[in-house]
Amino acid sequence: MRWWQIRRRDADLERELRSDLELEEEEQRENGLPPEAARYAARQALGNTTLIREHAHEAWGWATFERVSQDIRYALRQLLRSPGFAAVAVMTLALGIGATTAISTLVYDVMLRPLPFTEADRLVTVEEKVAEWSNIYPTLPVSANHFTFWQRHSRSFDSMALLQQFPVPLGSGDRPQQVEVMWATPGIFSVLRVQPTLGRPYTVSEGQKINEHVAVLMYDLWRQHFNANPGVLGKTIRLDGAPYTIVGVMPRSFHVPSLQWSATIGETDRSRPVEVIAPLAFSKERLAEQMGDLNYFGIGRLNQGVSITAATGDLDALQYTIGESLPANEKATLSAALTPLQDTLVGNNRKPLVILLAAAACLLLVGCVNVTNLLLARAVGRRQQMAVAAALGASRAEMVRMAIREIVVLAVAGGGLGILLASGVVPAMQRYLPPALDFRGPLHVDWMGAGCALILAVIASLLAGAVPAFMISRTAPFEVLHSESRLAGESRGNRRARRALVGIEVAVSVALVLMTGLLTTSLVRLMSVDRGFTTERTITATVELPGKSYEDDQHRATFYKTVLDRVDRLPGVEQAAFASGFPLEADDWGDMARVQGDSRPDTQLPIENVRWVSPDYFSSIHLGLVAGRIFSQDEWGKNQALISEKTAKTLWPGRNPIGRQFNLGNPAKEKPFTVIGIVRDARTVSLAKPDPMLIYVPYWYRTEGTAGLMVRTRQEPSEMARAIRETIWSVDGTVPVPEVRALAGVITDSVANQRFEMYLLLVFAASALFLAGLGVYGVITYSVVQRNREIGLRMALGARRATAYRLVLWDGLLPVAVGAVGGIGLAFASMRLVRSLLFQVSPYDPALTTGAVCVLLIIGTLACLLPARRAASVDPMQTLRTE
Amino acid sequence: MANEKRQRANLLLGTLDMLILRTLLYGPAHGHQIGKHIQRSTDDFLQMQHGSLYPALHRLERKGWIVSRWETAPDRNREFKYYRLTEKGRKQLVVEESQWKQMTEAVARVMWPAAEES
Repeated sequence: MRWWQIRRRDADLERELRSDLELEEEEQRENGLPPEAARYAARQALGNTTLIREHAHEAWGWATFERVSQDIRYALRQLLRSPGFAAVAVMTLALGIGATTAISTLVYDVMLRPLPFTEADRLVTVEEKVAEWSNIYPTLPVSANHFTFWQRHSRSFDSMALLQQFPVPLGSGDRPQQVEVMWATPGIFSVLRVQPTLGRPYTVSEGQKINEHVAVLMYDLWRQHFNANPGVLGKTIRLDGAPYTIVGVMPRSFHVPSLQWSATIGETDRSRPVEVIAPLAFSKERLAEQMGDLNYFGIGRLNQGVSITAATGDLDALQYTIGESLPANEKATLSAALTPLQDTLVGNNRKPLVILLAAAACLLLVGCVNVTNLLLARAVGRRQQMAVAAALGASRAEMVRMAIREIVVLAVAGGGLGILLASGVVPAMQRYLPPALDFRGPLHVDWMGAGCALILAVIASLLAGAVPAFMISRTAPFEVLHSESRLAGESRGNRRARRALVGIEVAVSVALVLMTGLLTTSLVRLMSVDRGFTTERTITATVELPGKSYEDDQHRATFYKTVLDRVDRLPGVEQAAFASGFPLEADDWGDMARVQGDSRPDTQLPIENVRWVSPDYFSSIHLGLVAGRIFSQDEWGKNQALISEKTAKTLWPGRNPIGRQFNLGNPAKEKPFTVIGIVRDARTVSLAKPDPMLIYVPYWYRTEGTAGLMVRTRQEPSEMARAIRETIWSVDGTVPVPEVRALAGVITDSVANQRFEMYLLLVFAASALFLAGLGVYGVITYSVVQRNREIGLRMALGARRATAYRLVLWDGLLPVAVGAVGGIGLAFASMRLVRSLLFQVSPYDPALTTGAVCVLLIIGTLACLLPARRAASVDPMQTLRTE
Repeated sequence: MANEKRQRANLLLGTLDMLILRTLLYGPAHGHQIGKHIQRSTDDFLQMQHGSLYPALHRLERKGWIVSRWETAPDRNREFKYYRLTEKGRKQLVVEESQWKQMTEAVARVMWPAAEES
């Protein structure tokens, strides 16, 4: 039966019944009854028409729907009669459910959703462990030498591959584009179990040096750059200045996460999605290096049924064999570490996500408690109505249905609104996902998420509605109707329940506020920590030299010098410098400095981060000098070095290092460096911790193709962007300059995740506070109305207004205070989770703890004041008169 | 008195469908006629309110045992909703009839065992 037929059917039935009535009436009249009596008799013969209609509806299978729609209509009418309550309840639920849905969509996508690869649970990342260096590097990337050995002898792996990811110039014309390339050994295709949709993967022999000039395009690049032309196979593209033959195109559905070793990404990971896959080939010298080439991201597919533990054991044995064969000066104790790929990708994002999820759940809990409270108050107000219904014969089930229907409507409205909220917020949140996790395309609330949200909504509202519904079902009509209706107070148990609810709300809010306070303070301290360098009026530009035309240090250094000379002449430039990277970007050069006379094996030497810089590096970011001097442009070619304070203390404890010498690499082959200055220890690697040991060498000693230009200007740096690009291109137009931006932005980016988490928490905490305040207000207002008579009597007996205030405040603040104490306990209990995310703040910080409690007390007091004023203005005469 | 009436109605509820189908075997009829016929045939023993007839008619129609149409009555110038037995309804009547027979016989065997033996 369709709903639009119901009206027609009803009319039809109506007509049928009417004609029956008429016939009967006629018949009765013929039997000699007077007209009035005949009509009456006919009606009696027919029976109750409403009942007939209901039965007929049931016969049409329409009754259930009708009952439900009636319920909904009734509930809507009831809710519309108190729009304030309805709005607050719906918004509360929507907020809680929206937040929970959004965060859990994020968490699911990031932490739980299976990676989009065949049998992704067999994928692991492989790292090396070197016992001698474990205090600085708990794990290290993989060496090509060791990898080759594993590949030959390991039995646990179906396939393995080594990867590196970095961008290179594409094409060869002026101002070329940059593409993100995943350089991978040929095994990558079997590891990820994926084949090109067009063409073929590259072969093992193409993965060897000299043959390695082949490339597989990712779908997006193929579509955008080659207009999805299938004839692209066999064509040549220029990567890094060298020609590469296109052998394949990956399927559209194939996406790879940014697979990079966490420590090489640094604090500011802004890597782009992979656009090209090309062979990672090793030279003979590379393959021969036994300990010097720990540089590559290792990934493998375990054999069916092989556990991670077993595979680790397998690799550990091989590592032991390698360790045994190392020459004396490189002696090291090697082992391996395997991690499921998904865990590697999630990395240290797990904790913040879990905290956010917990916070969202807390908000939902506070929301539920609030709605419960509101419903309870309403239920009390409707006791009369319910009692009448019960007295008129409504069954208990019917009464519960009456109570529940309103809640269900609230749930559906709140849940629907929550889903809308979440689906609006989720895409915005995606921007804050770390690139390693954000590779699956646009994130959105899917049907499953929406379904879960609705279920959550119903559960939440049923929980919120259970207590009031139970109360209603126990209504004893006799008692209620007999008590003086206007003065009927709230039962004691009920009042206690409402106070307990307020206590819970306050407790959760205090915990949230405290947590937010801690993380906010952390972030503020992190941003204001003395980082030892400045970012004002400094603009940065990344430069990528094509490898083909800048093959050696000499060519590169000359290019950098020419650029610096020209940039220095630009109006408004104070200083300009090139360096291996910007502050807070990871250093990619680690080395072991050997002080002359030290004969320990390499592996026992301390490791330093080495940076190549041009002389003005220090002055352009105001990195202070403690002693000595900075090398100058006139000393081109001299092997000089500056070291950080920490390096000085470690290498030459208690002595003046100036003028002393050390070696990087093999002392037999390379000239030693002379220390000419000591640089202040700063926080250039991570704001959160002091720098490790650092060594600065001049750029004429060594340079890389990727470099950072830092320019300190006299004016607004953003105005310089164009001029700087043009200047670089005036030296060589084929050099890509992918990014020009203010250094301050780099710093801000390094805490983007923390800031995002903090903002979310701030929103959650503020919402929770608001709800808690609302809860207190609701309870107190209600109890003031209930106690009107009592207060009036007290006033009549001579109590002062202050007494009324005290009475109400005491009533309201007691549950707040108890809740606050509970909340602090709750927060302290969960500190284990947060501790590692805090920076220079104790999780038990007394000021913040007191602050959180005070905030709640203030909110509580504010929420009590309005009802208190109302209590104090009770007119005793009025009260006595109504008595 | 009220009790007695309820008993009658109860008995009727289970068999109403069968009685309607049987009545319609004589030919198409409208609700009032069906009601009157049942009442008259049982010498007013089954005194039902006509109202309970209509939901039953609608139920039978939904099951496809009868069909209905508004038609002008042959004896007067008025339209009534006439119900007709369908082929399906005819078969159903046979089924119900045999079921009813079985049941009354079973009840009879319990109630008057001697009669059965003789």
